[in-house]
Amino acid sequence: MAIDGLIILDPAGRPIIQSSYTTYPAAYPLLHIEALNNALAKAPREGSVDPVIYVGELSCSSACCHVEVGGMRFVATISGDADPLIAFAFLDAFTEILQDYFGVVSVATLKDNFDIVYQLLEETLDSSGHPLTTSPNALSDIVLSPSLISKLLASVSPATPGVPSARQGGSFGSNGASGAFTSPIPWRKAGVRHNHNEILFDVVEEMRGIVGKNGTTLVSNVFGKIESNAKLSGTPDLTLTFTNPNVLTECAFHPCVRLQKWIRDNALSFVPPEGRFILADYQYKPPQSALVSNVPIPLSLKANMDMGEFGGTFALTLTSRLIKVMENLELKFYLGEDATSAQCTLSSAGSSVGSVGSADGSWSFNSRTKTLRWEILNMRSSGSWILRGSWTSKIKAPRPAHAFQISFEIPSYSFSSLKVDQLRLSSETYKMYKGVRMRSKGSIEWRW
Amino acid sequence: MSIRAPRKGENYELSVDLNSEYRDKRKDAIKRVIASMTVGKDVSGLFPDVLKNMQTDDLEQKKLVYLYLMNYAKTQPELVILAVNTFVKDSEDPNPLVRALAIRTMGCLRAEKIIDYLCDPLQRALRDDNPYVRKTAALCVAKLYDLKPELVIENGFLDQLRDMISDSNPMVVANTVAALTDIHISATSNQPSDSTSDPAVFSITSAILNKLLIALNECSEWGRVAILNALARYDAQDDKESEHICERVVPQFQHVNGSVVLAAMKVIMIHIRNVRRDDLVKQLIRKMAPPLVTLLSSPPEVQWVALRNINLLLQKRSDLLANEMRVFFCKYNDPLYVKIEKLDIMVRLASDSNVDALLSELKEYSSEVDVDFVRKSIKAIGQTAISIESAAERCVNVLLELINTRVSYVVQEAVVVMKDIFRKYPSTYEGVIPTLCANLEELDEPEAKTSLIWIIGEYADKIDNADELLGIFVDSFTEESYQVQLQTLTAVVKLFLKKPDSSQGVVQRVLNTATKDCDSPDVRDRAYIYWRLLSTDPGAAKAVVLAHRPPISIPRTTVSPALLEELLGEISSLASVYHKPAQTFVGHGRVGADSVQRKGLEISDAQKALQTVVAGQQAENLLDFGDDSTQDGQPSGLAATQILPSTPAAANFLSGTSANPLDDLVSIFGGMETMETSAGSLSTALSPTMTSLSSPFEGFGGPPALPSQPRQNAQPEEDLLGLF
Repeated sequence: MAIDGLIILDPAGRPIIQSSYTTYPAAYPLLHIEALNNALAKAPREGSVDPVIYVGELSCSSACCHVEVGGMRFVATISGDADPLIAFAFLDAFTEILQDYFGVVSVATLKDNFDIVYQLLEETLDSSGHPLTTSPNALSDIVLSPSLISKLLASVSPATPGVPSARQGGSFGSNGASGAFTSPIPWRKAGVRHNHNEILFDVVEEMRGIVGKNGTTLVSNVFGKIESNAKLSGTPDLTLTFTNPNVLTECAFHPCVRLQKWIRDNALSFVPPEGRFILADYQYKPPQSALVSNVPIPLSLKANMDMGEFGGTFALTLTSRLIKVMENLELKFYLGEDATSAQCTLSSAGSSVGSVGSADGSWSFNSRTKTLRWEILNMRSSGSWILRGSWTSKIKAPRPAHAFQISFEIPSYSFSSLKVDQLRLSSETYKMYKGVRMRSKGSIEWRW
Repeated sequence: MSIRAPRKGENYELSVDLNSEYRDKRKDAIKRVIASMTVGKDVSGLFPDVLKNMQTDDLEQKKLVYLYLMNYAKTQPELVILAVNTFVKDSEDPNPLVRALAIRTMGCLRAEKIIDYLCDPLQRALRDDNPYVRKTAALCVAKLYDLKPELVIENGFLDQLRDMISDSNPMVVANTVAALTDIHISATSNQPSDSTSDPAVFSITSAILNKLLIALNECSEWGRVAILNALARYDAQDDKESEHICERVVPQFQHVNGSVVLAAMKVIMIHIRNVRRDDLVKQLIRKMAPPLVTLLSSPPEVQWVALRNINLLLQKRSDLLANEMRVFFCKYNDPLYVKIEKLDIMVRLASDSNVDALLSELKEYSSEVDVDFVRKSIKAIGQTAISIESAAERCVNVLLELINTRVSYVVQEAVVVMKDIFRKYPSTYEGVIPTLCANLEELDEPEAKTSLIWIIGEYADKIDNADELLGIFVDSFTEESYQVQLQTLTAVVKLFLKKPDSSQGVVQRVLNTATKDCDSPDVRDRAYIYWRLLSTDPGAAKAVVLAHRPPISIPRTTVSPALLEELLGEISSLASVYHKPAQTFVGHGRVGADSVQRKGLEISDAQKALQTVVAGQQAENLLDFGDDSTQDGQPSGLAATQILPSTPAAANFLSGTSANPLDDLVSIFGGMETMETSAGSLSTALSPTMTSLSSPFEGFGGPPALPSQPRQNAQPEEDLLGLF
């Protein structure tokens, strides 16, 4: 298992930052960059390049695993019989760290902060190929974040002694900087103090589904995540219980969760890390679990498609099946490689609120991606939204996609109706602020 | 000393700033040096100036200087010596971060001269109070071993590492395990040349096993992967211990990190072999499905790796995801590489109960825009028809619907697939033939043409205007590709044997053209054989050309059983993604060719294994399914085809172990033998030449088959069978 190094390429395929590759010949990273750029150039369209590209030019053959992040390519090169999933997991972790440090990951932020990126790279990936510290809690102690605020805070707050003194040019504190590593709990800093203690949970559920031609749901799965943000002093031992824990199936947990407790009592017992982390991943399966267990899709689409020569016409009607308001609904329709233009009109019918304004929706046609986009910012529970239009194509028998891609968000809603019963704090005596928020989103493929 | 830069230009300015009396200015200059280094400018001339800034209290500045040193240590080793004192001093710094940093950087420098100074600080660091320093030092030992193994052994670092497995801090344990594994791998791969070192550097005992199992639950995701990989190497003493390992490892399935999940799965797949309790096996298998499904909600890259591994797992445990086919339905926006894997898995999961859902999906995919994907989907329909007999008719109906769309590539692919269905279910779907023939004009690809010609020839007696249809191809004979010519030739002869009265003219014409105007020796030879057969003994010709063929079947595995076992032990590695043994693409270091041979002998009798491989390969070639990822050279974008173009795993296995040229012959003659004996048994393939010789047609049958040998790997050929 060895990740030899990491290379970050700008959108033009030139390296911005790469790890040192001390044990490899100088041509080694270059060969990988070349192999990747060649593969990308040869690809007929985006998303058709294998995520693992084999590079066999050198005596020690290797592969590069690549992902796209903010227009850039993050490449991890692996040699030997390594696990590509480690590479992807590492790239993912590294991207998250960068996001933590810089907010936005872009060519500009990376170039401006290259010294910090290098330090992070050194701390997270050993030159022998083993990922090291990727826990944000531990990293924040050894590599300082660039934001001025954190620098200021670091120099006043007593929470992290040691490091600030280093910043001020004084001698290193011998105890503080190593706090993360002497802590008995590997994911948590020792000796954290907050004046205001709080922990927030965001339950985010995402539905992914496919609806067939005749309007029946072929597949719909709901994957959920409990995202947490903890600012708690000391070593808080928390127990989170739900009124309906049975809706959580196939869970995966942050290492802080005590599995035995979950299996026995269906309660999440854990000592959280500081800051943001994902407490649990789960899948929601409706209780009437027959062989096919589909979660109902919260909207319906009626599509009247009429294909003609050199184009076609369509009438799409969207109706919400929810009482809640759906937000940022977006419908995408790929009109085929040879599409040239589209013309549409919007209307809505039977809406109880009445007024049909332009604010209700908008449409656009992107002539580069050949995609028609229909957006509805606020979709209320009753009424329906209609998009009528036509498109033109250069060829006689146009071949548009036979599916619409619909995405939406539903604030304060969860498909599983998961309810938090109680959050108990033991081992510490302070009062803490607790908050739970639900949020759902969906991406549905609707075929016609 | 390097040559001083001229007193102007960027480097000169930097050098001035590096020597500035102001701390901020110096630090800024270092940053600029690093920036220049990053974009590939040569700033090695500034080495002495940068080095002056190494002794600082500013940790960030120190890190940057170290970074610079690491970059140029290889090209300027004599200068690095100047830094040694600071390194040694830093390794005794009160701040553990500085101590660790010094140790880590010294390990990375890879300069011979500095190594001798590394041992003492490393010795101290391994015993440091601070776990961060200890875990950094552990990895450093592995790096030192890479450079100078004897130093590691002389200093007793190995024993120290072995002791550190009992460290109180789980992260130290994990890094120690990782370091020992690295050392173990490089020691065992260099074993013949370096006999002084004990090859089994890191043999896992039951005592170590327990420590690992305890540390497993407490360390970071990367540490868990390292420990799980070590557990996969452990040879359990009895089934009790295997059970124990499985039970302790199963909770790792609930880790959020996919690489931990796959590494855990590998451990289970290895140790489950020794588990005797059926209920436990069942329980373990049941627990494997959900995390695999969860991986499918990850980004496409991770999905792809997961899908490749799922594909492999399914070949061994087909019941693994029996009720989960819908999860693998392709979405329009999925990248092609994901879709293709999903498709393969869907066909694998097909059963009587879900075949309708599968077919309607496949039909849906066949109307998509992406040509490659459409073709794969149509092939999948054929595979379904062949593997599920009760659904064959529904498959044929779907294919007919597709043919009626009259989209050129859809029709062509459907025709190819129909031919396979005819092969599997002879004389069952003859009603389809008129529809196929109606589309004759649409076909422009050789494979589709040969398929249709084969169908016409095979059912010549049932098609009224077969002579007319074949006549079209005879007319354009010289313009067609060789495989079409060969197929036309055979089909016309079949026609003649079935309907001698009406086709005398056309057979004469094709034999004339093929022997006189054709520049391919293959085609000419075959035409001569037919000619002689027909003129000397029409009865014999009938026996050869119209011989009964064994029905085809789909191999449920893409790799041989022996290889599958090996690959399952490599789950969560490149080998499992490529479905090829590691040594075929790693080559360097690791396991050499002789150990492959050893492995072959261990698994079973080498010949037997070979035979399985050859038989599997042969069956696939005869099958003529171009969809097999390890077989074809289609531009499907599969990584598998990129590694070893046109060299299937089976062939590799063959070349790695085969000392017997007869084996190569087996793969050529295997097909003929099945034809002649019509027994369809490839297992007796080891004596094919003898069988062939005993046949009166040996002289005719031999030559045309030979030319197919070089093409065998590239594109499955129809001609072997087509001849008969």
